[in-house]
Amino acid sequence: MTEEKKLRKKDLRSVFWRSFALQGAFNYERMQNLGFCYTMIPVIKRLYEKQEDQSLALKRHLEIFNTTPVVSPTIAGITAAMEEQNANNKDFDTSSINAVKTALMGPLAGIGDSLFWGTLRIIAAGIGISLAVQGNIIGPLLFLLLYNIPNILVRFFGLKYGYSVGVNSLERIQKEGLMDKIMAVATTVGLVVVGAMVATMLKVTTPLKFNVNGAEVVIQDILDQILPNILPLTLTFIVFWMLRKKFSISKLTIGIIFFGIIIHWIGIL
Amino acid sequence: MLTQALLLGLIAGIGILDSRLFGVLMLERPLVLGALVGLVLGDFKTGIIIGAQLELIWMGIAGIGSSTPPDVVTGGVLGTAFAILSGKGPEVALALAVPIAVLAQSLGVLVRVVNTYFIHKADSYAKSADFKKVTLMIWIPVALFFLSVFIPTFLAVLLGAETVTNLINSVPKVILEGMTIAGNLLPAIGFALLIDMLISKKMAVFFFVGFLAASYSSLDVMAIALIGVCMAIILNFIMNDSNHLTKKKDEPDNLTEGEINFD
Repeated sequence: MTEEKKLRKKDLRSVFWRSFALQGAFNYERMQNLGFCYTMIPVIKRLYEKQEDQSLALKRHLEIFNTTPVVSPTIAGITAAMEEQNANNKDFDTSSINAVKTALMGPLAGIGDSLFWGTLRIIAAGIGISLAVQGNIIGPLLFLLLYNIPNILVRFFGLKYGYSVGVNSLERIQKEGLMDKIMAVATTVGLVVVGAMVATMLKVTTPLKFNVNGAEVVIQDILDQILPNILPLTLTFIVFWMLRKKFSISKLTIGIIFFGIIIHWIGIL
Repeated sequence: MLTQALLLGLIAGIGILDSRLFGVLMLERPLVLGALVGLVLGDFKTGIIIGAQLELIWMGIAGIGSSTPPDVVTGGVLGTAFAILSGKGPEVALALAVPIAVLAQSLGVLVRVVNTYFIHKADSYAKSADFKKVTLMIWIPVALFFLSVFIPTFLAVLLGAETVTNLINSVPKVILEGMTIAGNLLPAIGFALLIDMLISKKMAVFFFVGFLAASYSSLDVMAIALIGVCMAIILNFIMNDSNHLTKKKDEPDNLTEGEINFD
């Protein structure tokens, strides 16, 4: 009976730091594969002694990999736990490692993207921008802090619990419906903030005026009485509708620049 | 000018490496890079303001999945730099940053294509379990990504600043004013992209909660965000829990469709 192979704290610390370089060699063929392989190197070195086994493990983690960076340490933790089982148990089904990885990267990317990219970043940016438009340095700093404190915490504890609890942890969370609830909270807050930002950060007003029997009618005042910020709201939904109609972002950008210049030249905005 | 060009190239380099090496800490965003550019060029405040405006425009643009978005790093750094150097302010930043970002995107695509070569090299080094060489294969692409923004930024600032300033000065005033208007309209794209990502039929109402709260009150975004958090927790954790006993297991959450049991 050989001695049981076990990862050390040092190895996991190394995995944590390496996971930041996930997209270092991003490519169209297998996306973040080399980055993930690089993340797993301390694990492979610790668990496998024979060159043959090391080579197999490296190849295993050079397969296609693509997820949102913030959840990659969680996947690395779970993968490390499985590699450890694989190194100690001859009957372990090696192909299950990549099967689990592939099964995790899609759903976790979805969660990570909507929580971090779609929500937290928007809230942090919204607050940061509202200060930075006045030239206040607190703006960019607050933006970085608000985003990165949760970012680093999820990376750190994701790796830790991913490794110690393994695949079961995610199944349990999924069963209790906790993840769905967190997602629903994130989406709700995200939409509320985007709504608030459309009202406060999109500056569209018209200088149009008419004379009706000597009385001056200011169009903007009438619009404000109907619904404040009705122009920003309308513009946002027109662009949203065009996105759904599959207009590309570049076309929309160029279109809006020309539209802005022309409509100002005519005098409507 | 040489020192400034070097430093600005370095800022762009840090920006691009954020997604490559630093696990996306948001250092790549115009809100952060704009401030750094301002610091280097001696006009901190303008840098922050321009950064905020570019952030508004590009907030919705994301590199989700394998798609390659416009290069907001090169676009943001050069746009902010030229705006400060020419003394013209935000509207010029925007007029320059948007086209530069689209142009610079092609370099990023090129690097991602070239990287495939190093992936294949890594495959062959993995055969002999050569850890050092496999590791080297990640560092070369990192260096390529760095150079893909450092070189254009450095050269553009060193050689292009005067040309660009002259070019800007020759643009008629009405067009520049129109650019300002266009700049005010452009964030609509970012917002629309975000709505596109977040919205579903039953969630749409929350957009209007935020919109109306901001329109009819003087609350700022921070306050509305915090109230939104409380509201979301009430809806998802408190009201839904009282519903828990009566709800069948496989039934999807249909909170906003009025199935709440107030027992």
